[in-house]
Amino acid sequence: MDTYFLMQVINGLSVGMVYALIAIGFTLIFGVLNVVNFAHGEMYTIGAFAGLVCINLLGWPLAFVILVALVVGGLAGIGLERLAFKPFRRFQDEASLKSRAMREATLLSSLAVSIIIKELIQHFFGAEMQTIPAQYLLNEPIQLGSISLSTGQFLILGSSIVMLGGLQYILYRTRIGLSIRAISNNPLGAKYVGLSVDKTIIATFAVGSMLGGAAGIMVGLYYGAIFPTMGFAPSIKAFVAMVMGGLSSIPGAVICALILGVCEALATDFMTQGWSDMVAYSFLILTLIFFPQGIFGARRERV
Amino acid sequence: MKLNRLFVALAALAILFAASAAQAEKTIVLGYSLPLTGSHAKYGEVFRNAAQIQLEKFNKSGKLPGATVEILYEDSKSDPKEAINIARKFVDDERVVGVLGDFTSTVSMAAGRVYAMEGMPQLSQTASHPDFNKIGDFQFRNITTQAFEGPFVAKWATSLGYKKFAIVAIQNDWGISAAENFAKGLKDLGGEVTDIEYFNPGNRDFRSILTKVARDKPQAIYLCMMYEEGAMILQQRKQLGIDIPFFGTSSLYSPKLLELAGDSANGLLLSTTFMPDSPEANVVEFVTEYKKRYGDDPSMFAAQAYDAVGIMLDAIASVGADVNRQSLRDALAATKGYPGVTGSTSFDPETREPVKGLARMRIEDGAFHLVD
Repeated sequence: MDTYFLMQVINGLSVGMVYALIAIGFTLIFGVLNVVNFAHGEMYTIGAFAGLVCINLLGWPLAFVILVALVVGGLAGIGLERLAFKPFRRFQDEASLKSRAMREATLLSSLAVSIIIKELIQHFFGAEMQTIPAQYLLNEPIQLGSISLSTGQFLILGSSIVMLGGLQYILYRTRIGLSIRAISNNPLGAKYVGLSVDKTIIATFAVGSMLGGAAGIMVGLYYGAIFPTMGFAPSIKAFVAMVMGGLSSIPGAVICALILGVCEALATDFMTQGWSDMVAYSFLILTLIFFPQGIFGARRERV
Repeated sequence: MKLNRLFVALAALAILFAASAAQAEKTIVLGYSLPLTGSHAKYGEVFRNAAQIQLEKFNKSGKLPGATVEILYEDSKSDPKEAINIARKFVDDERVVGVLGDFTSTVSMAAGRVYAMEGMPQLSQTASHPDFNKIGDFQFRNITTQAFEGPFVAKWATSLGYKKFAIVAIQNDWGISAAENFAKGLKDLGGEVTDIEYFNPGNRDFRSILTKVARDKPQAIYLCMMYEEGAMILQQRKQLGIDIPFFGTSSLYSPKLLELAGDSANGLLLSTTFMPDSPEANVVEFVTEYKKRYGDDPSMFAAQAYDAVGIMLDAIASVGADVNRQSLRDALAATKGYPGVTGSTSFDPETREPVKGLARMRIEDGAFHLVD
């Protein structure tokens, strides 16, 4: 009985880490621009497909494949910013920068880009799930007494920690991190003291989408499932984790993603998994009612 | 002038000959309502390809002396409204004695109401909704429903000694009916179901479900899902070290399952209606002919259409050249042991439901193998 619960907690943590990997990039971009980037799930898909092409055409070792996913994800992020976000920042006057309509229009443009990317991938690769050579699957069982783990779980756990640590380092110890925080805190003020808003936003997109792309290939290899619509379901959960975590707190989103995963896994014990999405949505509603700032929400600073 | 008259006379004679020849060769017309454009076009195309092979083979065989059969293909776009229009068109065309199609249950049933009202026999190659045959006395299908497949697998499993099952099924109409029919079949044979777990379409992580169903220590697990989810589950059970046999519905049959799941698919047991690698003579004939013409292995859908057309044509042949809608319906209802590429098909005289011999398969060394 005890190992059963331990096993379910481990299953839940591994699902939660997948959500967390996506939530990190999601939250970073939200923190800076204060808009939801609906195409983040597609950055994840692009990373997965870039890695897959690398595997199938070049047969590179896994570390290089992840590197490629990082680079392609970053480039895709810059392209996304250029296509869906930049055109709405054309007017730099105070009224436009403060206008809600300008901000919310990008929400729709990012949704449009996400649909286009999904359709393009489907056009070139087909809607079917892609086959992954067996030696690349991150699914080797590791037995520890009566519980079984897999190589992918360690890789995803490790990279979540590295990403989270690296990001916190960048945000709090480097100059670009300082300007990201400044802009997220007060874009107009940052602009008036001479920070380049454009450059910082591009950097944020590059970093956030890099993390998304790397998450895509790792999760793809862990589940053995790479297909054009793979980004949708996990990014909904990552979104819930982001709201629960207070919208712009990255450690908060990660912790909430883990809580979400574990609760979903434990919920299978008293309801069928078909209902487990209810767990995420009820958390979302409870958070909004009882913690309007999110569980880890800060009052002023957004990153 | 004289030459001209001779020419006219000869031409008249030629027309007379042609007319008398046409009178000797009666043409019997079948309708085929199928999606040739739209999102389901790839299925309709496959149906037409397979139907054409079967039709030409039949017309050459001389099973129906004094008449040839022709098929009118009409594009339903997989849209119930279109299919109803086509149904009215076929019903009004006095030459049409029977109709094949449509593809999905929804469209087949919409058109089926017209056919049932007007007394036109309709045979769908793929409509598996339980209510399709209940529309009227003129509906037939040559695909088995889960009400047949579930008990079939249950019987097979109990004969191998597996009586305690957990079921994992996709949460949609089809998955629920597959799980419930299997559970019922198993209980009727004295078996036991420890748990039925449904999952949401789109779910990719089955570890918590597998951990849960394995806790009750079933002897085997039955999977009701498509091959994509099936491949995930098979991989994850290997990773979790759940070492019990897995059975599955025929929907898991796809070469893609082997590609996606790799080694972890080994040992899966499933039922199926069609296998292109089968050594049976009629399957080999169909597969080679299809490959020759269309350059591709026929899918299960092609095989379904090939047999549906075959059943219809055999029913026409059993009545003879003066077949009409009513006599064709009765002949269809009397179909017994039609030797198709998807196994032998009989229609239950009461319910008109197909009774088919399902084949049994086992995955070994990364390939599907037929089990006797």
